[in-house]
Amino acid sequence: MTNEFIRLTHIFKSFGKTEVLKDLSAVLHQGEILGFLGPSGAGKTTTIKILTGQLKPTAGDAYVLDTHVKDINTTIYEQIGIVTDQSGIYERLSVYDNLKYFAQILRVNAGRIDELLKRVGLYEHRKKPAGKLSKGQTQRLVLIRAVLHKPKVLFLDEPTSGLDPSTALEIHNMLTEFKEEGMAIFLTTHNMEEAAKLCNHVALLNNGQIVEYGTPEELCLRYNKDKRYRLLLSDGSTLVLGQTPAEIDRLSDLLREDKVNSLHSCEPTLESVFLTVTGRSLQ
Amino acid sequence: MNKMQTTETSKIHTTGIHWHKLTAVMKLKTRALFSKNFIIMPIFAIGLTLALKFLYRFIADGNDEMLTFMYSMALGLGVTMNVSMTGMVCTSMSLAEEKEKHTLRALMTSSVNGLEFFLGSIIPVLAMIVAVNILLILVAGISISPAGWALWLGISLLCSIASTVLGMILGICAKNQVNASTLSTIPLLVFAMIPSFSAFHPTIKKISDLLFTGILMDTSKSLMTGTPTVEPIGLAVIAVEIALAVIAFLLIYRRNGYDAD
Repeated sequence: MTNEFIRLTHIFKSFGKTEVLKDLSAVLHQGEILGFLGPSGAGKTTTIKILTGQLKPTAGDAYVLDTHVKDINTTIYEQIGIVTDQSGIYERLSVYDNLKYFAQILRVNAGRIDELLKRVGLYEHRKKPAGKLSKGQTQRLVLIRAVLHKPKVLFLDEPTSGLDPSTALEIHNMLTEFKEEGMAIFLTTHNMEEAAKLCNHVALLNNGQIVEYGTPEELCLRYNKDKRYRLLLSDGSTLVLGQTPAEIDRLSDLLREDKVNSLHSCEPTLESVFLTVTGRSLQ
Repeated sequence: MNKMQTTETSKIHTTGIHWHKLTAVMKLKTRALFSKNFIIMPIFAIGLTLALKFLYRFIADGNDEMLTFMYSMALGLGVTMNVSMTGMVCTSMSLAEEKEKHTLRALMTSSVNGLEFFLGSIIPVLAMIVAVNILLILVAGISISPAGWALWLGISLLCSIASTVLGMILGICAKNQVNASTLSTIPLLVFAMIPSFSAFHPTIKKISDLLFTGILMDTSKSLMTGTPTVEPIGLAVIAVEIALAVIAFLLIYRRNGYDAD
Protein backbone atom coordinates (compact mmCIF):
# COMPACT_ATOMS: atom_id res chain seq x y z
CA MET A 1 0.00 0.00 0.00
CA THR A 2 1.28 3.47 -0.85
CA ASN A 3 0.83 6.38 1.52
CA GLU A 4 -2.13 7.49 -0.58
CA PHE A 5 -5.06 6.65 1.68
CA ILE A 6 -7.93 8.23 -0.23
CA ARG A 7 -8.38 8.90 -3.94
CA LEU A 8 -11.47 10.40 -5.52
CA THR A 9 -11.51 10.38 -9.33
CA HIS A 10 -14.31 12.07 -11.28
CA ILE A 11 -17.01 11.24 -8.73
CA PHE A 12 -20.59 12.05 -9.62
CA LYS A 13 -23.63 11.49 -7.44
CA SER A 14 -27.26 12.07 -8.31
CA PHE A 15 -30.44 11.63 -6.32
CA GLY A 16 -33.11 11.20 -8.96
CA LYS A 17 -32.61 14.06 -11.39
CA THR A 18 -30.71 16.17 -8.89
CA GLU A 19 -26.97 16.03 -9.37
CA VAL A 20 -25.36 16.71 -5.98
CA LEU A 21 -21.73 15.87 -6.73
CA LYS A 22 -20.13 16.81 -10.02
CA ASP A 23 -16.77 15.47 -11.08
CA LEU A 24 -14.97 15.47 -7.73
CA SER A 25 -11.30 14.53 -7.72
CA ALA A 26 -8.97 14.72 -4.73
CA VAL A 27 -6.24 12.80 -2.94
CA LEU A 28 -5.43 12.36 0.76
CA HIS A 29 -2.09 11.01 1.91
CA GLN A 30 -0.99 9.50 5.21
CA GLY A 31 -0.35 12.10 7.89
CA GLU A 32 -2.31 14.81 6.08
CA ILE A 33 -5.58 16.62 6.60
CA LEU A 34 -7.73 17.23 3.55
CA GLY A 35 -10.48 19.78 4.09
CA PHE A 36 -13.68 19.93 2.10
CA LEU A 37 -14.80 23.48 2.63
CA GLY A 38 -18.20 24.67 1.61
CA PRO A 39 -21.57 25.95 2.79
CA SER A 40 -24.44 23.71 3.86
CA GLY A 41 -25.75 21.66 0.97
CA ALA A 42 -22.50 21.84 -1.00
CA GLY A 43 -22.09 18.04 -0.94
CA LYS A 44 -19.58 17.59 1.90
CA THR A 45 -21.55 15.00 3.86
CA THR A 46 -22.50 13.13 0.68
CA THR A 47 -18.79 12.86 -0.14
CA ILE A 48 -18.08 11.36 3.29
CA LYS A 49 -20.96 8.92 2.88
CA ILE A 50 -19.56 7.78 -0.46
CA LEU A 51 -16.07 7.38 0.95
CA THR A 52 -17.33 5.37 3.91
CA GLY A 53 -19.48 3.07 1.79
CA GLN A 54 -22.79 4.44 3.05
CA LEU A 55 -23.71 5.72 -0.40
CA LYS A 56 -22.70 4.53 -3.83
CA PRO A 57 -21.41 7.02 -6.39
CA THR A 58 -23.41 7.39 -9.60
CA ALA A 59 -20.18 7.49 -11.59
CA GLY A 60 -16.46 7.72 -11.00
CA ASP A 61 -14.03 5.88 -8.77
CA ALA A 62 -13.11 6.36 -5.16
CA TYR A 63 -10.61 4.34 -3.17
CA VAL A 64 -10.15 4.21 0.59
CA LEU A 65 -7.03 2.35 1.74
CA ASP A 66 -6.76 0.80 -1.73
CA THR A 67 -10.33 -0.53 -1.58
CA HIS A 68 -12.81 0.70 -4.15
CA VAL A 69 -15.83 2.14 -2.36
CA LYS A 70 -18.11 -0.21 -4.30
CA ASP A 71 -16.28 -3.15 -2.70
CA ILE A 72 -16.36 -1.77 0.84
CA ASN A 73 -17.71 -4.11 3.50
CA THR A 74 -17.88 -3.78 7.25
CA THR A 75 -14.24 -4.81 7.73
CA ILE A 76 -13.11 -1.44 6.34
CA TYR A 77 -14.49 0.12 9.53
CA GLU A 78 -11.76 -1.63 11.49
CA GLN A 79 -9.33 0.73 9.75
CA ILE A 80 -11.32 3.94 9.62
CA GLY A 81 -13.05 6.16 12.15
CA ILE A 82 -16.08 8.35 11.52
CA VAL A 83 -17.42 11.37 13.36
CA THR A 84 -20.59 12.98 12.06
CA ASP A 85 -23.57 14.70 13.61
CA GLN A 86 -25.23 11.27 13.31
CA SER A 87 -22.64 9.66 15.61
CA GLY A 88 -24.88 8.87 18.55
CA ILE A 89 -23.92 7.74 22.02
CA TYR A 90 -25.63 5.35 24.42
CA GLU A 91 -27.02 7.93 26.81
CA ARG A 92 -27.87 5.52 29.64
CA LEU A 93 -24.42 3.92 29.60
CA SER A 94 -21.52 5.56 31.38
CA VAL A 95 -18.82 7.34 29.39
CA TYR A 96 -16.47 4.42 30.12
CA ASP A 97 -19.03 1.76 29.12
CA ASN A 98 -19.74 3.54 25.85
CA LEU A 99 -16.07 3.21 24.96
CA LYS A 100 -15.79 -0.31 26.39
CA TYR A 101 -18.61 -1.48 24.11
CA PHE A 102 -16.85 -0.25 20.99
CA ALA A 103 -13.47 -1.41 22.33
CA GLN A 104 -14.88 -4.94 22.51
CA ILE A 105 -16.26 -4.72 18.99
CA LEU A 106 -12.97 -3.39 17.63
CA ARG A 107 -10.79 -5.62 19.83
CA VAL A 108 -9.08 -2.74 21.58
CA ASN A 109 -7.23 -3.13 24.86
CA ALA A 110 -9.09 -1.56 27.80
CA GLY A 111 -5.93 0.39 28.68
CA ARG A 112 -6.44 2.46 25.55
CA ILE A 113 -9.78 3.69 26.94
CA ASP A 114 -8.16 5.21 30.04
CA GLU A 115 -5.36 6.67 27.93
CA LEU A 116 -7.80 8.47 25.64
CA LEU A 117 -10.12 9.56 28.46
CA LYS A 118 -7.18 11.19 30.23
CA ARG A 119 -5.96 12.75 27.00
CA VAL A 120 -9.25 14.58 26.40
CA GLY A 121 -10.00 15.39 30.03
CA LEU A 122 -12.96 13.03 30.40
CA TYR A 123 -11.32 10.60 32.82
CA GLU A 124 -12.99 12.17 35.86
CA HIS A 125 -16.35 11.89 34.07
CA ARG A 126 -15.88 8.23 33.11
CA LYS A 127 -18.60 6.95 35.47
CA LYS A 128 -21.11 9.62 34.47
CA PRO A 129 -24.00 8.59 32.18
CA ALA A 130 -23.04 9.76 28.70
CA GLY A 131 -26.39 11.52 28.34
CA LYS A 132 -25.37 13.94 31.12
CA LEU A 133 -22.30 15.25 29.28
CA SER A 134 -22.18 18.75 27.82
CA LYS A 135 -22.14 19.15 24.05
CA GLY A 136 -18.38 19.72 24.02
CA GLN A 137 -17.75 16.69 26.25
CA THR A 138 -20.04 14.56 24.06
CA GLN A 139 -18.15 15.61 20.97
CA ARG A 140 -14.86 14.67 22.64
CA LEU A 141 -16.35 11.31 23.59
CA VAL A 142 -17.48 10.70 20.01
CA LEU A 143 -14.06 11.70 18.74
CA ILE A 144 -12.12 9.37 21.02
CA ARG A 145 -14.54 6.57 20.24
CA ALA A 146 -13.71 7.08 16.56
CA VAL A 147 -9.97 6.79 17.22
CA LEU A 148 -10.12 3.98 19.81
CA HIS A 149 -8.73 1.49 17.30
CA LYS A 150 -6.07 3.86 15.93
CA PRO A 151 -7.68 4.10 12.49
CA LYS A 152 -5.58 4.88 9.46
CA VAL A 153 -8.20 7.30 8.15
CA LEU A 154 -10.47 9.53 10.20
CA PHE A 155 -13.56 11.12 8.66
CA LEU A 156 -14.82 14.22 10.42
CA ASP A 157 -18.02 15.94 9.36
CA GLU A 158 -18.15 19.43 10.89
CA PRO A 159 -16.48 18.26 14.12
CA THR A 160 -16.50 21.65 15.86
CA SER A 161 -19.87 22.88 14.65
CA GLY A 162 -21.73 24.53 17.51
CA LEU A 163 -18.86 24.16 19.99
CA ASP A 164 -17.42 26.96 22.09
CA PRO A 165 -14.01 28.30 21.00
CA SER A 166 -12.03 26.61 23.80
CA THR A 167 -13.52 23.17 23.08
CA ALA A 168 -12.97 23.72 19.36
CA LEU A 169 -9.33 24.57 20.13
CA GLU A 170 -8.94 21.36 22.17
CA ILE A 171 -10.31 19.37 19.26
CA HIS A 172 -7.99 21.16 16.83
CA ASN A 173 -5.03 20.25 19.02
CA MET A 174 -6.13 16.62 19.11
CA LEU A 175 -6.49 16.51 15.35
CA THR A 176 -3.02 17.97 14.90
CA GLU A 177 -1.64 15.27 17.22
CA PHE A 178 -3.46 12.53 15.30
CA LYS A 179 -2.08 13.90 12.05
CA GLU A 180 1.44 13.91 13.45
CA GLU A 181 0.94 10.28 14.47
CA GLY A 182 0.35 9.45 10.79
CA MET A 183 -3.43 9.43 10.65
CA ALA A 184 -4.99 10.72 7.44
CA ILE A 185 -7.93 13.01 8.21
CA PHE A 186 -10.75 13.89 5.86
CA LEU A 187 -12.39 16.98 7.31
CA THR A 188 -15.50 18.78 6.16
CA THR A 189 -16.19 22.22 7.53
CA HIS A 190 -17.66 25.56 6.68
CA ASN A 191 -15.25 27.21 9.11
CA MET A 192 -12.50 28.73 6.97
CA GLU A 193 -10.25 29.50 9.93
CA GLU A 194 -10.39 25.86 10.98
CA ALA A 195 -9.55 24.75 7.45
CA ALA A 196 -6.69 27.22 7.09
CA LYS A 197 -5.26 26.22 10.45
CA LEU A 198 -5.50 22.45 10.16
CA CYS A 199 -5.55 21.38 6.53
CA ASN A 200 -2.65 20.47 4.29
CA HIS A 201 -4.96 20.74 1.30
CA VAL A 202 -8.41 22.19 0.92
CA ALA A 203 -11.06 21.71 -1.72
CA LEU A 204 -13.57 24.53 -2.00
CA LEU A 205 -16.89 22.90 -2.72
CA ASN A 206 -19.82 24.76 -4.21
CA ASN A 207 -23.02 23.14 -5.50
CA GLY A 208 -21.33 19.75 -5.60
CA GLN A 209 -18.32 20.94 -7.55
CA ILE A 210 -14.74 21.57 -6.48
CA VAL A 211 -14.16 25.15 -7.53
CA GLU A 212 -10.63 25.42 -6.10
CA TYR A 213 -8.10 22.93 -4.75
CA GLY A 214 -4.69 23.37 -3.16
CA THR A 215 -2.95 24.23 0.06
CA PRO A 216 -4.59 27.05 2.01
CA GLU A 217 -1.54 29.24 1.36
CA GLU A 218 -1.59 28.53 -2.36
CA LEU A 219 -5.24 29.43 -2.65
CA CYS A 220 -4.87 32.63 -0.69
CA LEU A 221 -1.83 33.72 -2.69
CA ARG A 222 -3.48 32.73 -5.99
CA TYR A 223 -6.17 35.32 -5.33
CA ASN A 224 -3.85 37.94 -3.87
CA LYS A 225 -4.20 40.15 -6.96
CA ASP A 226 -3.91 43.53 -5.28
CA LYS A 227 -0.95 43.21 -2.96
CA ARG A 228 -1.59 45.42 0.03
CA TYR A 229 -0.17 45.91 3.51
CA ARG A 230 -1.94 47.03 6.66
CA LEU A 231 0.10 49.19 9.00
CA LEU A 232 -0.57 50.15 12.60
CA LEU A 233 1.23 53.40 13.16
CA SER A 234 2.75 54.72 16.38
CA ASP A 235 0.04 57.41 16.64
CA GLY A 236 -2.60 54.66 16.79
CA SER A 237 -3.94 55.10 13.29
CA THR A 238 -4.05 52.37 10.65
CA LEU A 239 -3.02 52.65 7.07
CA VAL A 240 -3.34 50.33 4.08
CA LEU A 241 -0.74 50.65 1.35
CA GLY A 242 -0.45 48.99 -2.02
CA GLN A 243 2.56 48.39 -4.26
CA THR A 244 2.64 51.51 -6.41
CA PRO A 245 6.06 53.27 -6.40
CA ALA A 246 4.60 56.11 -4.34
CA GLU A 247 3.14 53.75 -1.76
CA ILE A 248 6.40 51.80 -1.51
CA ASP A 249 8.26 55.10 -0.91
CA ARG A 250 5.71 56.04 1.75
CA LEU A 251 6.16 52.66 3.45
CA SER A 252 9.96 53.04 3.37
CA ASP A 253 9.68 56.50 4.91
CA LEU A 254 7.41 55.31 7.70
CA LEU A 255 9.73 52.42 8.49
CA ARG A 256 12.78 54.64 8.42
CA GLU A 257 11.11 57.13 10.73
CA ASP A 258 10.16 54.26 13.08
CA LYS A 259 6.48 55.14 12.91
CA VAL A 260 5.27 51.60 12.25
CA ASN A 261 4.12 49.51 15.22
CA SER A 262 2.96 46.55 13.12
CA LEU A 263 2.87 45.53 9.48
CA HIS A 264 0.68 42.83 7.94
CA SER A 265 0.18 41.68 4.38
CA CYS A 266 -3.45 41.72 3.26
CA GLU A 267 -3.72 38.48 1.26
CA PRO A 268 -7.27 37.15 1.08
CA THR A 269 -8.62 34.59 3.53
CA LEU A 270 -10.14 31.31 2.37
CA GLU A 271 -13.53 32.84 2.99
CA SER A 272 -12.85 35.77 0.69
CA VAL A 273 -11.37 33.38 -1.88
CA PHE A 274 -14.57 31.36 -1.70
CA LEU A 275 -16.61 34.53 -2.06
CA THR A 276 -14.54 35.59 -5.07
CA VAL A 277 -14.83 32.21 -6.78
CA THR A 278 -18.49 31.46 -6.09
CA GLY A 279 -20.05 34.81 -5.32
CA ARG A 280 -21.55 33.37 -2.13
CA SER A 281 -20.61 33.21 1.53
CA LEU A 282 -19.52 30.05 3.37
CA GLN A 283 -21.98 30.48 6.22
CA MET B 1 -32.58 14.03 -0.65
CA ASN B 2 -31.96 13.08 2.94
CA LYS B 3 -34.44 10.21 2.75
CA MET B 4 -32.77 8.85 -0.35
CA GLN B 5 -29.42 9.07 1.33
CA THR B 6 -30.45 7.13 4.37
CA THR B 7 -32.08 4.34 2.42
CA GLU B 8 -28.69 3.08 1.29
CA THR B 9 -27.30 3.16 4.78
CA SER B 10 -26.65 0.17 7.01
CA LYS B 11 -27.01 -2.37 4.24
CA ILE B 12 -23.27 -2.94 4.09
CA HIS B 13 -22.69 -6.41 5.36
CA THR B 14 -20.41 -9.36 5.37
CA THR B 15 -21.63 -12.90 5.59
CA GLY B 16 -19.43 -13.96 8.49
CA ILE B 17 -20.17 -13.71 12.17
CA HIS B 18 -17.44 -12.45 14.48
CA TRP B 19 -18.01 -13.91 17.90
CA HIS B 20 -16.55 -10.95 19.81
CA LYS B 21 -18.84 -8.51 17.99
CA LEU B 22 -21.90 -10.70 18.47
CA THR B 23 -21.07 -11.06 22.17
CA ALA B 24 -20.65 -7.31 22.54
CA VAL B 25 -24.03 -6.58 20.94
CA MET B 26 -25.70 -9.33 23.00
CA LYS B 27 -24.26 -7.94 26.24
CA LEU B 28 -25.54 -4.47 25.45
CA LYS B 29 -28.97 -5.72 24.45
CA THR B 30 -29.23 -7.89 27.57
CA ARG B 31 -28.41 -4.87 29.68
CA ALA B 32 -31.06 -2.85 27.85
CA LEU B 33 -33.58 -5.65 28.38
CA PHE B 34 -33.27 -5.20 32.14
CA SER B 35 -33.90 -1.46 31.93
CA LYS B 36 -37.23 -0.28 33.32
CA ASN B 37 -38.67 0.34 29.83
CA PHE B 38 -38.39 -3.29 28.85
CA ILE B 39 -38.35 -5.42 32.01
CA ILE B 40 -41.88 -4.30 32.76
CA MET B 41 -43.18 -6.58 30.00
CA PRO B 42 -42.05 -9.99 31.30
CA ILE B 43 -42.90 -8.80 34.82
CA PHE B 44 -46.40 -7.94 33.62
CA ALA B 45 -46.82 -11.44 32.14
CA ILE B 46 -45.75 -13.06 35.44
CA GLY B 47 -47.87 -10.68 37.49
CA LEU B 48 -50.91 -11.30 35.29
CA THR B 49 -50.60 -15.07 35.65
CA LEU B 50 -50.17 -14.81 39.42
CA ALA B 51 -53.11 -12.43 39.81
CA LEU B 52 -55.39 -14.58 37.65
CA LYS B 53 -54.35 -17.69 39.55
CA PHE B 54 -55.44 -16.19 42.86
CA LEU B 55 -58.60 -14.72 41.31
CA TYR B 56 -59.60 -18.02 39.68
CA ARG B 57 -58.93 -19.96 42.87
CA PHE B 58 -61.40 -17.66 44.57
CA ILE B 59 -63.95 -17.99 41.72
CA ALA B 60 -63.62 -21.82 41.40
CA ASP B 61 -64.38 -22.17 45.09
CA GLY B 62 -62.97 -25.72 45.40
CA ASN B 63 -64.26 -27.04 42.06
CA ASP B 64 -61.11 -28.88 40.89
CA GLU B 65 -62.23 -29.42 37.31
CA MET B 66 -63.11 -25.77 36.91
CA LEU B 67 -59.89 -24.74 38.64
CA THR B 68 -57.77 -26.77 36.20
CA PHE B 69 -59.53 -25.12 33.26
CA MET B 70 -59.13 -21.66 34.75
CA TYR B 71 -55.47 -22.20 35.66
CA SER B 72 -54.85 -23.19 32.04
CA MET B 73 -56.51 -19.92 31.01
CA ALA B 74 -54.24 -17.99 33.37
CA LEU B 75 -51.13 -19.73 32.09
CA GLY B 76 -52.23 -19.30 28.46
CA LEU B 77 -52.82 -15.58 28.95
CA GLY B 78 -49.44 -15.18 30.66
CA VAL B 79 -47.47 -16.96 27.97
CA THR B 80 -49.19 -15.26 25.04
CA MET B 81 -48.63 -11.88 26.71
CA ASN B 82 -45.00 -12.75 27.37
CA VAL B 83 -44.26 -14.01 23.88
CA SER B 84 -46.13 -11.19 22.11
CA MET B 85 -45.14 -8.25 24.29
CA THR B 86 -41.57 -9.14 25.11
CA GLY B 87 -40.89 -10.50 21.64
CA MET B 88 -42.44 -7.79 19.53
CA VAL B 89 -42.39 -4.67 21.67
CA CYS B 90 -38.95 -5.05 23.29
CA THR B 91 -37.30 -5.95 20.00
CA SER B 92 -38.94 -3.23 17.94
CA MET B 93 -38.46 -0.52 20.55
CA SER B 94 -34.84 -1.44 21.08
CA LEU B 95 -34.11 -1.14 17.35
CA ALA B 96 -36.14 2.06 17.10
CA GLU B 97 -34.20 3.55 20.02
CA GLU B 98 -30.90 2.78 18.26
CA LYS B 99 -32.19 4.63 15.20
CA GLU B 100 -33.63 7.52 17.19
CA LYS B 101 -30.41 8.09 19.13
CA HIS B 102 -28.20 7.53 16.06
CA THR B 103 -26.33 4.71 17.78
CA LEU B 104 -27.29 2.22 15.05
CA ARG B 105 -25.31 4.20 12.51
CA ALA B 106 -22.37 4.45 14.90
CA LEU B 107 -22.53 0.70 15.40
CA MET B 108 -22.82 -0.20 11.73
CA THR B 109 -19.87 2.05 10.91
CA SER B 110 -17.83 0.34 13.61
CA SER B 111 -17.63 -2.94 11.70
CA VAL B 112 -20.71 -4.70 13.14
CA ASN B 113 -22.52 -6.34 10.24
CA GLY B 114 -26.27 -6.77 9.77
CA LEU B 115 -26.33 -10.42 10.78
CA GLU B 116 -24.34 -9.81 13.97
CA PHE B 117 -26.70 -6.99 14.90
CA PHE B 118 -29.76 -9.13 14.12
CA LEU B 119 -28.61 -12.11 16.18
CA GLY B 120 -27.23 -9.90 18.96
CA SER B 121 -30.61 -8.17 19.17
CA ILE B 122 -32.88 -11.21 19.21
CA ILE B 123 -30.90 -13.83 21.19
CA PRO B 124 -31.22 -12.04 24.58
CA VAL B 125 -34.94 -11.52 23.96
CA LEU B 126 -35.40 -15.19 23.04
CA ALA B 127 -33.59 -16.21 26.21
CA MET B 128 -35.73 -13.86 28.28
CA ILE B 129 -39.00 -15.15 26.79
CA VAL B 130 -38.09 -18.81 27.26
CA ALA B 131 -36.89 -18.18 30.82
CA VAL B 132 -40.13 -16.38 31.69
CA ASN B 133 -42.18 -19.15 30.08
CA ILE B 134 -40.39 -21.65 32.35
CA LEU B 135 -41.08 -19.39 35.31
CA LEU B 136 -44.75 -19.17 34.35
CA ILE B 137 -45.06 -22.97 34.60
CA LEU B 138 -43.68 -22.72 38.14
CA VAL B 139 -45.95 -19.79 38.94
CA ALA B 140 -48.97 -21.74 37.65
CA GLY B 141 -47.89 -24.51 40.02
CA ILE B 142 -48.15 -27.44 37.63
CA SER B 143 -45.82 -30.38 37.46
CA ILE B 144 -44.91 -31.71 34.04
CA SER B 145 -42.88 -34.64 32.76
CA PRO B 146 -39.42 -34.26 31.17
CA ALA B 147 -41.09 -34.83 27.81
CA GLY B 148 -43.57 -32.09 28.65
CA TRP B 149 -40.70 -29.73 29.52
CA ALA B 150 -38.96 -30.54 26.24
CA LEU B 151 -42.15 -29.83 24.31
CA TRP B 152 -42.75 -26.63 26.24
CA LEU B 153 -39.21 -25.33 25.73
CA GLY B 154 -39.29 -26.21 22.04
CA ILE B 155 -42.64 -24.57 21.34
CA SER B 156 -41.70 -21.53 23.47
CA LEU B 157 -38.48 -21.09 21.52
CA LEU B 158 -40.15 -21.44 18.12
CA CYS B 159 -42.91 -18.97 19.01
CA SER B 160 -40.32 -16.56 20.42
CA ILE B 161 -38.42 -16.67 17.14
CA ALA B 162 -41.55 -15.75 15.19
CA SER B 163 -42.34 -12.96 17.63
CA THR B 164 -38.85 -11.41 17.72
CA VAL B 165 -38.49 -11.48 13.93
CA LEU B 166 -41.83 -9.67 13.72
CA GLY B 167 -40.43 -7.23 16.28
CA MET B 168 -37.38 -6.58 14.09
CA ILE B 169 -39.67 -5.88 11.10
CA LEU B 170 -41.66 -3.40 13.20
CA GLY B 171 -38.38 -1.85 14.40
CA ILE B 172 -37.20 -1.34 10.83
CA CYS B 173 -40.46 0.35 9.92
CA ALA B 174 -40.50 2.59 13.03
CA LYS B 175 -38.82 5.99 13.04
CA ASN B 176 -38.57 6.23 16.82
CA GLN B 177 -39.68 4.53 20.02
CA VAL B 178 -43.10 6.17 20.11
CA ASN B 179 -43.68 5.10 16.53
CA ALA B 180 -42.51 1.56 17.35
CA SER B 181 -44.94 1.40 20.24
CA THR B 182 -47.80 2.56 18.01
CA LEU B 183 -46.90 0.18 15.19
CA SER B 184 -46.75 -2.73 17.65
CA THR B 185 -50.27 -2.18 18.92
CA ILE B 186 -52.20 -3.98 16.16
CA PRO B 187 -49.91 -7.04 15.90
CA LEU B 188 -49.95 -7.18 19.70
CA LEU B 189 -53.75 -7.17 19.76
CA VAL B 190 -53.89 -9.88 17.10
CA PHE B 191 -51.27 -12.21 18.55
CA ALA B 192 -52.03 -11.69 22.25
CA MET B 193 -55.77 -11.06 22.39
CA ILE B 194 -57.22 -13.44 19.79
CA PRO B 195 -55.87 -16.59 21.53
CA SER B 196 -57.03 -15.13 24.87
CA PHE B 197 -60.64 -14.97 23.64
CA SER B 198 -60.51 -18.21 21.64
CA ALA B 199 -62.49 -20.07 24.30
CA PHE B 200 -65.48 -17.78 23.87
CA HIS B 201 -66.39 -18.23 20.19
CA PRO B 202 -65.66 -20.91 17.57
CA THR B 203 -64.70 -18.35 14.90
CA ILE B 204 -62.18 -16.74 17.19
CA LYS B 205 -60.85 -20.21 17.97
CA LYS B 206 -60.43 -20.92 14.23
CA ILE B 207 -58.45 -17.70 13.80
CA SER B 208 -56.45 -18.46 16.93
CA ASP B 209 -55.51 -21.86 15.50
CA LEU B 210 -53.78 -20.02 12.66
CA LEU B 211 -51.59 -17.98 15.00
CA PHE B 212 -48.38 -19.18 16.65
CA THR B 213 -49.59 -17.68 19.91
CA GLY B 214 -52.80 -19.71 19.55
CA ILE B 215 -50.77 -22.90 19.22
CA LEU B 216 -48.72 -21.85 22.25
CA MET B 217 -51.88 -21.30 24.29
CA ASP B 218 -53.24 -24.70 23.27
CA THR B 219 -49.94 -26.30 24.27
CA SER B 220 -50.09 -24.60 27.67
CA LYS B 221 -53.63 -25.93 28.17
CA SER B 222 -52.47 -29.44 27.29
CA LEU B 223 -49.78 -29.14 29.97
CA MET B 224 -52.45 -28.36 32.55
CA THR B 225 -54.49 -31.38 31.60
CA GLY B 226 -51.43 -33.62 32.02
CA THR B 227 -51.18 -34.65 28.36
CA PRO B 228 -48.63 -32.29 26.83
CA THR B 229 -49.11 -32.31 23.10
CA VAL B 230 -49.04 -30.22 19.98
CA GLU B 231 -50.79 -31.21 16.78
CA PRO B 232 -48.69 -31.53 13.59
CA ILE B 233 -50.88 -28.82 12.05
CA GLY B 234 -49.90 -26.58 14.95
CA LEU B 235 -46.22 -27.18 14.30
CA ALA B 236 -46.84 -26.45 10.62
CA VAL B 237 -48.56 -23.14 11.51
CA ILE B 238 -45.58 -22.09 13.61
CA ALA B 239 -43.08 -23.14 10.94
CA VAL B 240 -44.98 -21.29 8.20
CA GLU B 241 -45.25 -18.13 10.30
CA ILE B 242 -41.56 -18.19 11.16
CA ALA B 243 -40.75 -18.67 7.47
CA LEU B 244 -43.08 -15.83 6.45
CA ALA B 245 -41.63 -13.52 9.11
CA VAL B 246 -38.06 -14.30 8.04
CA ILE B 247 -38.87 -13.80 4.35
CA ALA B 248 -40.64 -10.51 5.09
CA PHE B 249 -37.70 -9.39 7.23
CA LEU B 250 -35.17 -10.25 4.52
CA LEU B 251 -37.19 -8.46 1.83
CA ILE B 252 -37.52 -5.31 3.92
CA TYR B 253 -33.90 -5.46 5.11
CA ARG B 254 -32.52 -5.96 1.61
CA ARG B 255 -34.47 -2.98 0.41
CA ASN B 256 -33.79 -0.54 3.22
CA GLY B 257 -31.29 -1.99 5.66
CA TYR B 258 -32.27 -1.25 9.24
CA ASP B 259 -33.18 2.34 8.31
CA ALA B 260 -36.46 2.16 6.45
CA ASP B 261 -37.05 5.85 7.05
